[in-house]
Amino acid sequence: MQAVRDFSKLIIQAFFGGIGVAVAMSLAILLLSANSQAATINDAKAGTLLIKDSSVDGGYAPAPQVATEVAIDVTGMIARTRVIQVFHNPGSGFVEGVYVFPLPEKAAVDRLWMKIGTRVIEGRIREKEEARRTYEKAKAEGKKAALVEQQRPNLFTNAVAHIGPNDAIEIRIEYQQALAYEMGTYKLRFPLAVTPRYVPAAAAIPDEPKALEAQPLEDGEELVQPAYAPDGCGGLNTVDIAISIDAGVPVGAVTSSYHETVIEKAGGRTMISLTKDQEEANRDFELTWTLAPGAAPQAAMFTQTRGDNEYALLMVVPPQPTAAERAQFERMPRETILIVDTSGSMEGVSMTQAKAALEMALDTLRGSDRFNVLEFNSGMRTWLPTAVPATADNIQRAREWVRKLRAGGGTNMAPALMFALDGTETPGYLRQVVFITDGAVGNEDELFKLIVQRLGSSRLFTVGIGSAPNGHFMTKAAQFGRGTFTSIGDVKEVQEKMGALFAKIEAPVLRDVQIRWPNGTPVETFPPRVPDLYLGEPVLVAAAAKAPLGTVVVTGLRGNQPWSVALTPPPDRDAAGVGALWARAKIASLMDTLAQGADVNQVRPAVVNVALEHHLVSAYTSLVAVDLTPTAPTEGLKTAMVKASLPQGYVGGGLPQTDTPATLQLLLGLFALMSAAIVTMLGRRTARIA
Amino acid sequence: MRAMGTDPGSRAWGLSPVLIFALLLALLGTWQVASAGWIHAKATLAQHLIASAWSGARAGGPARRPWPWADMRPVARLTVPGRGISLYVLDNADPRALAFGPAHVGGTAAPGSAGNAVIVAHRDTHFAFLRDLSPDDEIDVEGAHGAMSRYRVREVSVVDKEETRVLEPADAPLLTLITCYPFDAVRPGTRLRYVVVADRIG
Repeated sequence: MQAVRDFSKLIIQAFFGGIGVAVAMSLAILLLSANSQAATINDAKAGTLLIKDSSVDGGYAPAPQVATEVAIDVTGMIARTRVIQVFHNPGSGFVEGVYVFPLPEKAAVDRLWMKIGTRVIEGRIREKEEARRTYEKAKAEGKKAALVEQQRPNLFTNAVAHIGPNDAIEIRIEYQQALAYEMGTYKLRFPLAVTPRYVPAAAAIPDEPKALEAQPLEDGEELVQPAYAPDGCGGLNTVDIAISIDAGVPVGAVTSSYHETVIEKAGGRTMISLTKDQEEANRDFELTWTLAPGAAPQAAMFTQTRGDNEYALLMVVPPQPTAAERAQFERMPRETILIVDTSGSMEGVSMTQAKAALEMALDTLRGSDRFNVLEFNSGMRTWLPTAVPATADNIQRAREWVRKLRAGGGTNMAPALMFALDGTETPGYLRQVVFITDGAVGNEDELFKLIVQRLGSSRLFTVGIGSAPNGHFMTKAAQFGRGTFTSIGDVKEVQEKMGALFAKIEAPVLRDVQIRWPNGTPVETFPPRVPDLYLGEPVLVAAAAKAPLGTVVVTGLRGNQPWSVALTPPPDRDAAGVGALWARAKIASLMDTLAQGADVNQVRPAVVNVALEHHLVSAYTSLVAVDLTPTAPTEGLKTAMVKASLPQGYVGGGLPQTDTPATLQLLLGLFALMSAAIVTMLGRRTARIA
Repeated sequence: MRAMGTDPGSRAWGLSPVLIFALLLALLGTWQVASAGWIHAKATLAQHLIASAWSGARAGGPARRPWPWADMRPVARLTVPGRGISLYVLDNADPRALAFGPAHVGGTAAPGSAGNAVIVAHRDTHFAFLRDLSPDDEIDVEGAHGAMSRYRVREVSVVDKEETRVLEPADAPLLTLITCYPFDAVRPGTRLRYVVVADRIG
């Protein structure tokens, strides 16, 4: 019995000894590997960003950081925004900071100031190349300088040269925008993050390479993408937002869609600010508000006189149809094509939202409708080869197909759009393409051309998903697709927003809209033709005339009834910013002609003229500010991209993982074999002793 | 029990817990070593199979699948003169393809063409040699139709995996080779990437 006890004891000892050694060895292995990683970036501390810099000991230097303050002043339906970016250089040498940041897609950027200590230098508008030369020259001479360039209509870069060690330079940018007004609600959006954009290689459309060749804005220009910070570094680029609304009439409910805010009302003004005054720039800010009941405008006109020109901004809200009227609007059966983006950038929360939106869309189909569903990432996959009647059975099968969708791969939109916009028409059906995506693409222009060329009688409705969709792409795609853009930033909004979209697209509320200007006044308006209006949408037109404008009459067809409204300019004839908004609309319209095949050599001078006259940043003009006195050494300037935060919920992207567990497996395996040998030997010896 | 003491031979403690434990350990060990070996075997064997698919493509035919159920094709051949490195580059950089060879990252320029061509591979198999590359080393790339390009290494750097700007398009013909870093890490899943950038010189 003694022998049995001894033997069992030994076995237990051997067992635990083996496990102990195994654990110890594994720990040693893991620690060793952890050490070898930490040694390469051992300067990294929580919250510090590093840039590679061979001149510094250890190879890394801290990157500049940017704190952003946003102040938005809303007057009537125009918002004037001041963005202050404070570039701080935590390092020990002079650096150049390059910050890629988004702005609303219709922002008319017209002012730039650079503040160094107490001195303030105002930026000037120049043609893009000239501005860049001015900036480079100042940089070479050791002068502080700032350059604001447009990468995309909603994506800008700000380069600041010679930020001294432990120094801060304050850059102030101002822009103007007209507010979106829909369904009785004003909406103001300030984008705070950029979803990394996917640029397909070469032409994405193999069979029509000539017509659809991707056209960069300039020869040899490339899309600058923000550099993203590694996770787990805490708040990186902080942002503070304050908004003041002076609507002229009492304001009703104010809602911040995705951020916690404090709302105060005082003396006819409504002030909104973020509760935590430092928020990380990783999801877009959206504020919506309604006007007090009875105060909602049916029509509004703002004018501004600048030089010989009179500028006007018109907004007309067609009256909502009553239930009886809506019953009379004949509902045509629809052929609905649902396209969903399942690329890698959609992974995570975005995919959940997209699926919810798809299910909602399937719910709204009626038996008389037809439908199909398709997904795209690097390639494209359809649910069925052609659209089928929306029977309960078919909808159920589509629902199951949707549930199995997974995100991954690139964002190659062209094949899906080509499939959906194939020029076919089913007689008696209203063809609607609903396109659900985060719009994370860099080849926008190529896609716009495709939409323009192939739309036919279909209508394209874009639905933006995720915490930072590419608003420029979505809005323009919907405009070229003669549909509308809906943005969903939260799963909770899916039901409401998709419901509103489908209610809206049942039938246009106002068709054939015409504007009659006072006799004999030549007027240039944007958009040149007012599109059909769906439920809750206003007419929004910017106009320029050589003579003062009198009363304007807007007419249209409501159902089958003629409808009209007359607008008279307010006696106080100077609403600031109307001219800039008109110019911005004109530039956008000129840029749109590129998608329709216009020659860039003719468009460019036209854009430059308008932009220089109105002091606006555009694809071909930039703002540049240069300090007069050199304050920095002229050599050894490092350039660093300021890291942006990735949009909240974004998990895709990044460089591929290229390590295998082979070494780990080999070590574990050899170790297990050795343990086996040791245990066997111990077992033998025990047996012998016993 | 006494019998076991007097007879240290095999049968008496034949199925004792010690032996079972040792056997389990041995099995586990063999399985782990085999898995590691399988990763390396796949990496080597696949390159040989791809070689014959490649010579088919060179002869003018369409690039064949290296084996019937493969979902990738060779698009280029990468050689480093003087180092005995010769690798076939596959067309689709997904984790499965990477087991068989270096792969071209979709969306970047084609190897040998103008623009930034990005190729990724595993640090412990195909691209283990990257650690030996230094500026001014030369790399040859043969395109699908036999077009040869020569690149010279400009810089070598270590970046975080979120630094996707190394994938960004360029005007000049560039070759960017990426693998995981550090090379001799035991545990997979590092955040760091080793990036070699080379300019075309001919």
